Amino acid sequence: MSLGRFLVRRTLQGLLVVWGVITVVFVLRFLSPGDPVTFVAPLDASPELRQRIAADLGLNKPMHVQYADYLAGLLQGDMGYSYQRGLPANDIVLSRVPATVELAVASSIVAIVLSIPLGVVAATRRHSPADYGATLFSLVGISTPNFWLGIMLVLFLSVQLDLFPTSQRPVGFLEAWTHLIRFKLAGPSLSVPLDAGAFADDMGTWLWHITLPAVTLGTYFTALITRLTRSGMLDELGKEYVTAARAKGLPETLVRYRHALRNTLIPILTVLGLQLGTLIGGAVITEAVFAWPGLGSLLIDAINSRDWPIIQAALIVIGVSFVVINVAVDVVYGYLNPQVGYE
Amino acid sequence: MSDDHWFDRRSFLKHGGAAGASVATVALAGCSGDGGDGDDGNNTDGENGGGVGNGVDEEENWQDLDEPSNRAGYLQRANLAAHQEAPWIFLNRQYSNYGKRTSLDWEPRSDELIWAYTMAPEGSSVTVTQGKMDTGLDPHNHRETPTDNIVTQAYDRLLMRTSDGSIEAALAEDWERIEPGHVRFHIREGVTFHNGDELQPSDVAFSINRVVDPEVSLESPQNDQLAGVTGAEVADEGNAVDVFSDGINPVIFSLFASYCNIVQQDWIESRNSEEINRNMNGTGAFQLSNYEASVEVSFEAYEDHWRGAPDFDSLVFRAAGEDSTRVNQLVQGETDIIVNVPPQQVSSVQDASGAEMAPVPSTRIIYNGMRYDVEPFDDPLFRRAMNYAIDLETIVQDTLQSFADQTAQPTLEGFVGYNEDLDPYPYDPERANQLIEKSQYDEADLVLHTPVGRYLNDLEIAQATAGYIDDLDNVSAEVNQVEFGELAGKLTDGDIETSPDWYLIGWGNAVFDASQTLIPLLTSDGALTSWKNDEFDQLVNEAQGLPGSQ
Repeated sequence: MSLGRFLVRRTLQGLLVVWGVITVVFVLRFLSPGDPVTFVAPLDASPELRQRIAADLGLNKPMHVQYADYLAGLLQGDMGYSYQRGLPANDIVLSRVPATVELAVASSIVAIVLSIPLGVVAATRRHSPADYGATLFSLVGISTPNFWLGIMLVLFLSVQLDLFPTSQRPVGFLEAWTHLIRFKLAGPSLSVPLDAGAFADDMGTWLWHITLPAVTLGTYFTALITRLTRSGMLDELGKEYVTAARAKGLPETLVRYRHALRNTLIPILTVLGLQLGTLIGGAVITEAVFAWPGLGSLLIDAINSRDWPIIQAALIVIGVSFVVINVAVDVVYGYLNPQVGYE
Repeated sequence: MSDDHWFDRRSFLKHGGAAGASVATVALAGCSGDGGDGDDGNNTDGENGGGVGNGVDEEENWQDLDEPSNRAGYLQRANLAAHQEAPWIFLNRQYSNYGKRTSLDWEPRSDELIWAYTMAPEGSSVTVTQGKMDTGLDPHNHRETPTDNIVTQAYDRLLMRTSDGSIEAALAEDWERIEPGHVRFHIREGVTFHNGDELQPSDVAFSINRVVDPEVSLESPQNDQLAGVTGAEVADEGNAVDVFSDGINPVIFSLFASYCNIVQQDWIESRNSEEINRNMNGTGAFQLSNYEASVEVSFEAYEDHWRGAPDFDSLVFRAAGEDSTRVNQLVQGETDIIVNVPPQQVSSVQDASGAEMAPVPSTRIIYNGMRYDVEPFDDPLFRRAMNYAIDLETIVQDTLQSFADQTAQPTLEGFVGYNEDLDPYPYDPERANQLIEKSQYDEADLVLHTPVGRYLNDLEIAQATAGYIDDLDNVSAEVNQVEFGELAGKLTDGDIETSPDWYLIGWGNAVFDASQTLIPLLTSDGALTSWKNDEFDQLVNEAQGLPGSQ
C-alpha cells in the first residue's frame, strides 16, 4: 500500500474513533450525576430560574435533539459555548493547547535526551556501576509519584535555592518566536523591527518556567524509556546479525548505534507516541502543581463544574491528538522498519 | 439549658390560649448547656419538627417570650428558635485565610471581596492569586467570588461596604425609602466610564433591570441576589433612580451594597455576549488592559476615577488551584496576595520572610443539616443531642487550627438579627446520651454526607463530627463523601425527600442580614431547607414585613 492510501485509510479510521469519542462522551453526559444547572445557578435559585437557565443552555431539549444539534455545530466548527464562562468552547480549549503541547514536547525531549544514552550505557556496560546506577534511577523514577516529585523540586530548587520560579507560564513558546517571525514576515526594511533582545528574554523566561514542570512530567517517562532501551539493546546485542557484524570487523560504535540501537528504537517509538498522547491529555497533576494553564487542568475544572461543552471539546482535541500522533508513529515506524511497510 | 420542658410549656400554651403566652416575661437567656435531667421524656410535635421538652427549667422557651418590638428583634427570636430546636448541628464560621506580602498595606474584608482600590503596595503593581479565575467578565452573568473579585475592580456598585461590612456611598451619593416597596438612589454626578462617557441614571436603571428582568438582554443568575426587586426607572428629573420591590424589602439597601455592578447601557447593547465576557467598560478604579481567558486578567489604574486614582498602576489576577502552589508563590514573592491558605500551610507563610497571614472571619457558615421529616432527626431531642455530642471547640482548634469561630445560631456575629445571648452548645456527651435515651430513638445508624474540598477542611470537619457522634452509646455514625454537584443538586431540586438525611454544607451571606440565611435554609419554603416550623416561619415573615435599620 502506498503512503498516500495508508494516510487516507488511517485518517478515516481516526475520524471514526473521534466520532466514537464524541458519542460516548455525549451519552456519558446524560448518565453522570450532577445537573449542569446546579453549577450555573446559585444554590438558592428558584425552580423557575433553574428552568430558565436550563432552557437558555439548551438542556431542556430531548437527548437526540441535543445530539443532532451538537453534531451539526461540530460540522460547522462550533463546539458550543461554555456553561460557566459564556465563551466559545473552541476558543477556550484551543487557547490551552499550546501550553499542553509545550509541556508534553519538553518533557519528551527531557526523556529522550536522558533515557536513550542512559539505557545504551547500561546495556553496553552490563553489571557495571553505570548499569546499576541507571537501573536504580529508572526504578526510582517509575516509583516516584509526579505530584510528590513536583512539590519536592519546587521546595528545594525554587523555595530553598531560588533557582527556578515556583509556577506559572508568563510567556508561551510561540509568543517568544513572534518577535522574530513578525520581522521575517515584514522584512528587514519594513516597520516591524527584529527584536532579538525581546526574543531572548522571552525564550529565557519560557525555559526558566518550563524546566521544573518538564522534569517532573518527564521523569517517569525517562525511567520507562531507560528500561526499554536497556532491555532492547541487550536483546539486539545478543542477536546473530550483531555477531556477524562484529565478525566482519565493523567498529563497535557502528554495531551499537547504527544497527542495534536503530532496531531498539522501533518499540521505543511506539511507546513514545502513546506516551506523548497520554501527556497531552494527562498532565493534570503537573499542571496543577505548577499552575500551568494546560488542557488537563481545564478538563478537570470542567468536569468538576459539569461544563460539558468544554469537556467535549477538550476530549475531541485529545482524541484527535491521539489519532494524529499514532498515525505519525505508524508512518515513522514504516520508515524505520521497511519490513512492516504501510499495511 | 433546659431540653425538653419547652414542649410541655408549648402544649400548655396551645391548650391554655394566648393568655399563657403573655405571662412569659423572662428575658432571653444564654444557652449555657447545663441543667436538668428532665423527667418527661415527651418531645416532638411531629409535623412541625419542633418543640422539645425536658422538665428542669432554667431558661425560657422561644415560644414563650414577649412579642419583639422591631425587625432585628424578630430575627433574633428566630435565631433563638433555631438554636433551641436545633435543626442543624451548628459548626463553624469559616475564615477567609489570605496570605500577603508584608510590604503590601491591605486590610482584608469580611465580605470576601478583594478590593484593590484600598491597597497600598511598595511598588507600582499588585498581583493576586486566587484558586480559580473568572468565568467571564460580564458582571451580571456569574455567581462566584473569584469572578466578583475581578469584575468589581472595573465595575462599581451603587453602594459599597466598608471592610467591616457597613454600607457606604458609591455611585449613589444618597439613598432613601420613599414608601414601602419604593426606594430612591441619588446618582453621583461627574462619574465617567472607562471609555470616557459620563454615567447616566439610565445606565443605573438598565443595570438593575438587566439583573432582575429576563427580558432585558440576559437571564442573569444574580436575579435572586436582588430578591424582591421588580424593576428600576429614572426619576427626579433624571438625577435619581427609583427601585421598586414587591413588598417592603427591608434589606434592599444592603442588597445593593453587596450586588449589582453598574454597566453602560449603550456599551452593553452594542455588544454580544462573547464580547461582553472578554471586555470591560465600567466606572471602577481599574480598567482592563489584557484578558487571557481563564489564565490572567490585567488591569491598569483608571486615572479619572471618581474617588481619585488608585495608589498603584498595575493589578493582575491569576489563579493556582493547588494550595501549596499559591503558598510557594507568596513565599517566593511571585505574588502579593493569595486566597485560601489551608491551616496546615499557615506555618509556611508565617515562617517565610516577607510574607504573613491575613485571616478575616468570612460571611460563610458551615453546618450539618438534619432533615426534620425522617427518623431520627424528626425528634428535636435527638437533634439537640447531636449538638451536645460534638466538641466544637476542639474541632475549631485542631481541625481548623483556630481559623474559624464556633457558632450557636444560623446568623453570624455582626449581622442584623444576630442574637448575642446565645452561646455554642457545650461538649457534653453524657447529656447527649441522656437526650437520646429520652428521645423516640434510643439507637441509630447515621451517615453524614459531605462534599470534599468545597469548604476549608470540610472532610476533616465531617470526620471529626461523625467521630464524636459515633462515640455515643447506641449511635453509630460514618462519613460518606459525595461530589459537591451531586449533593447540591439533591438539596436544591425543590424536593426535600431527595436530600440526604444528614449532610454538611456551607452557606455564604454577603448581605449581612439574618434573613438571607434564615429564609433559604430554614423556612418551610426555603430553597435549601431541612426544617419546617410554622411559628418560626411566622417570626421571619414578621421581620420581613418591617423596615430595616438602613
